Amino acid sequence: MLRTTLAGLRAHKLRLLLTAVAITLGVGFISGTFVLTDTMDKGVAKTFARSADKVDFAVLPDDDTEKGLSASTLNQVRTVPGVTDVHGMVKGDAALVGKDGKAAGDFPTVGMSVPSGRLLRYDFDTGRPPSGGGETVLDTELAKREGYTVGDTVTVLDGKNRSHSFGVVGLVDFGIDQEASFRGAVGFDPATAKAMTGETTYEEIDVAGGNRAAMEAAVKAGGGDAGAAPSGRVYSGAELGTKLAKSAGADTKIIRTGLLIFGLVAMLVSALVIYNTFSILIAQRMREMALLRCVGATRRQIFGGVLVESAVVGLVGSLLGLAAGVGLGAGALVGIRQLDANLAMTGPSGTSLAPRTILIGLAVGVIVTVVSALLPARAATRVAPVAALRSELEPGSGRFRLGVPRTVISVLLGIAGLVIGALGSIAMPKGQAAMFVVALAGGVFFLAVIAAMPALVRPLGRFAGAVPARLGGVPGRLAVANAQRAPRRTATTTIALTVGVGLMSLFAVIAASGKATATHKLAEQFPVEFQIRTQDFQGTVPRALAGTLRDRPEVADVIEMHRQETKSAGKGKDITTITASALGTIVRPEMTEGTLDAAQKPGTAMVDADTAKAPGLAMGKTVQVKTAHGTVPVKITAVYAPGTGLDGIVVPESDFIRYFGARDPTAIYVKTHDDVLASDARRAVEGAAQPYPAAKVISSAEFKESMTKAVDMMLMIFGGLLGLAIVIALFGIANTLTLSVVERTRESALLRALGLTKRQLRRMLSVEALVMAVIGALTGVVLGVAFGWAATNAMASDSVFSLPYLQVVAFVVLAGLAGTAAAVMPARRAARTSIVESLSHD
Amino acid sequence: MTSTFTDPPGGVPAVTAGPAVMAEGVSKVYGSGDAAVHALRGVSVGFAKGAFTAIMGPSGSGKSTLMHCLAGLDTVTSGRIVLGDAEITGMGDRQLTMLRRDRVGFVFQAFNLLPTLTAEQNILLPLELAGRKPDRAWFGQVVDVLGLRDRLRHRPSELSGGQQQRVACARAIVARPEVIFADEPTGNLDSRAGAEVLGFLRASVREMGQTIVLVTHDPVAASYADRVVFLRDGEIVSEIVQPTPEAVLDRLKGLGA
Repeated sequence: MLRTTLAGLRAHKLRLLLTAVAITLGVGFISGTFVLTDTMDKGVAKTFARSADKVDFAVLPDDDTEKGLSASTLNQVRTVPGVTDVHGMVKGDAALVGKDGKAAGDFPTVGMSVPSGRLLRYDFDTGRPPSGGGETVLDTELAKREGYTVGDTVTVLDGKNRSHSFGVVGLVDFGIDQEASFRGAVGFDPATAKAMTGETTYEEIDVAGGNRAAMEAAVKAGGGDAGAAPSGRVYSGAELGTKLAKSAGADTKIIRTGLLIFGLVAMLVSALVIYNTFSILIAQRMREMALLRCVGATRRQIFGGVLVESAVVGLVGSLLGLAAGVGLGAGALVGIRQLDANLAMTGPSGTSLAPRTILIGLAVGVIVTVVSALLPARAATRVAPVAALRSELEPGSGRFRLGVPRTVISVLLGIAGLVIGALGSIAMPKGQAAMFVVALAGGVFFLAVIAAMPALVRPLGRFAGAVPARLGGVPGRLAVANAQRAPRRTATTTIALTVGVGLMSLFAVIAASGKATATHKLAEQFPVEFQIRTQDFQGTVPRALAGTLRDRPEVADVIEMHRQETKSAGKGKDITTITASALGTIVRPEMTEGTLDAAQKPGTAMVDADTAKAPGLAMGKTVQVKTAHGTVPVKITAVYAPGTGLDGIVVPESDFIRYFGARDPTAIYVKTHDDVLASDARRAVEGAAQPYPAAKVISSAEFKESMTKAVDMMLMIFGGLLGLAIVIALFGIANTLTLSVVERTRESALLRALGLTKRQLRRMLSVEALVMAVIGALTGVVLGVAFGWAATNAMASDSVFSLPYLQVVAFVVLAGLAGTAAAVMPARRAARTSIVESLSHD
Repeated sequence: MTSTFTDPPGGVPAVTAGPAVMAEGVSKVYGSGDAAVHALRGVSVGFAKGAFTAIMGPSGSGKSTLMHCLAGLDTVTSGRIVLGDAEITGMGDRQLTMLRRDRVGFVFQAFNLLPTLTAEQNILLPLELAGRKPDRAWFGQVVDVLGLRDRLRHRPSELSGGQQQRVACARAIVARPEVIFADEPTGNLDSRAGAEVLGFLRASVREMGQTIVLVTHDPVAASYADRVVFLRDGEIVSEIVQPTPEAVLDRLKGLGA
């Protein structure tokens, strides 16, 4: 039996390959993910090990604290016998000022201490470590971006946003520090670093020499300063390397998990394609099966034979997939390196193919293939031996009726999906939980669609085929009929495409709705053209700037936002206020309880709906707020809905000044006159802010644009990753079509004899593929949009649904075109076949 | 079902001397070298307009190959085929397709009909492929003669074998091609259904001047023809005019079949 199976496979290499392609792609993606992330991990580990090698011991704050190590710990460590060198690592904000006179980048650059001597762990590209208060080194990438080099003089802002000048003496690769490589970093000698960042504690203490026991005792003795971590832990150099690599590995783990989810989607689609291919193959080989039964094969042997065949197909596909995965991983690595030079630190260490990758790739590939072939194998055992002698009916044809169990299952699942979906999107409180419920509903409803799809093929086919049947002439009409003639087959073929297109449209709808919601909120509740704030959102911008802006003729309104961290009701809470005249005119929060006026009276405050849930902060309560002149009672007289730029406890502006005195605002919002050109307005605002390097001007239009870009980028990445599932589904269409062409050889020959041209025959198959692809894509789009709507509803109470109809239409059109492309090979094959041979072959 | 065709559009064409289709020195070789198979060796034969001609011969005599070549389904190795006024040898695939669509009709032994189309759609298929408007009156007459009126909306799987072959005949006749090629049209039918099909074919020749070339190995089927041409080993060896089953059988025996 085994020999028969293997001989059959050898004789049909094309069939074998066609089936294996789906598995190859899926396994390729999964193993590629492992290869990529393993290689990244290995590179990171190597870099960290090399860096950590330079220290004998390192003291780090305990894992459960955000605070740094105290100065006394540093002093204690310094006194440990045998210690030759100590570096207390300082890290804080120190914003580099760019050539435009403004703090560079979206976030303030990191100020770091750079020691000289043996404990220097960073690689210098050029120059030397800084020493003294007048020298700095820059992160190489940052320097390149901002156009600075060794010998230049740069301005850096200290913790209080005062400008200081430094001479650049070196360019450094801070690569091993992820925060530094992300935000860009400037390095100083340790004393200057402390002065510039305003930090009083140390992130890490690196030590050369000494012994562990004495070191641990010293750390214990030195702990406990106010504002510092209560204790620290001592690591050896090697331990430090492992620890650093592990925390960096968490990032690759996220990448891996994310990619694997898309890999799973691809495998699901592969499973559908394989199931379908095997079903068709078995149906076409009924005679062969029956003949085997005639000559004495048992049902078990037939079943086993099909499974062995699937295992071989799975193995071949997985092996090819592994090879593809190594290539894919290596290719992705090259791509990532080109996009993000910081990852170049992983070095050209070669791709890493772990035994685990091989094992998982092969196991997933073979198991998915064999499991997908189980049902077709069972169908094969039901062939009666006498079928070998009968002329067979066309496999899979005839009117499809949903059986009672299938109808019941699909109806029940469909109702369950709708009910759960309604619960999540309408009934439940908005938020993540509701979105998960909607996702679950989507899954359940999709199962219902799978169950009901064979019955839906006919109506959907008539719909999708309406235009081609009318315009395509006889070939068009025949094609539409062909697409519907084997409903189960068409259903499985199209469902595979539905998965990818459905998820695509779901993401597209959520992305579009997210954008619409944000834009809507901005326009409705906070219609300003510019906002001015510091890079880290925490600092303040000078009051004088607000005054300058108010004097500009282009400016219509200037709104100041003030914030004071204080204790209220015993807890650390921010008290905020906003320019009184703007409330209710420009800033219009939606009130859920009370009125805006009520919250403008002296001694009152309003809180956002989330804050109001905290005990003691609800509507009508009185809070004790610690002010500059003692504690004062503040009564909460209104609650506002979030999403206006306001947050926390908002008091009237006059009260705020009374409580805390006149202070610099945390943000300034600028509304310009409507008749001022955008470019003029921009020049005016930027001109006013020019003297203050820390004050970053952000225009709403720019903000919107960058947000749109970020969302679109995300969507594109998702689209690219889902693309694989869609490609596999297209191979599924090509597969089904190829097998159908084989099955309809005589029919095609008859049509050709009756006067169908080769081109018409090819067109007929293209249209059939088009109809199948459109059925799948339409189903996907409908599901995606519906559940996208439900998810948008579940997201937040004020979310706005937006249908990206152009994208959605494009999905269907592209799917149709791709389907036609999938038909090219089968169609050529069909057209090449000789009429006479096909007519005579039995 | 003895009613026959009356009043075909355009009237009954006069039987003229010119052949509807003819082969001149046609040879067909499959393969090459030692493996070469000579299916036809210099066959020259004409098929008169308005005549019902049968091609007979034992298995492997080349009768199906000859028909395929005459109908433009297969190419010849040498010699020429003339269909009406057109020499079809040397025509490209597209020209041949147009020729078949417009001027030739087929009835095959099996698998004559498209399973996705109804009987009516199957009958009208060649006309639609050619973009020609069917003559509804003529269509109705053909359908009535063949007794298919109440079967028009059925799909092939819902028809008996005899009905399926009658649909195939209707399809060939409705388009009024210059020649109908029938390849063992009764091979899969019982004798009664077979007799019906052959009767219709002969009626279409007698009453509306249709030209039919029938390939068969059944002497009874051949006896419906006006003339029988015998083939052996790719060569025409003899012929009988106004055949009877007995005469055909005798001749076949003489050929050593």
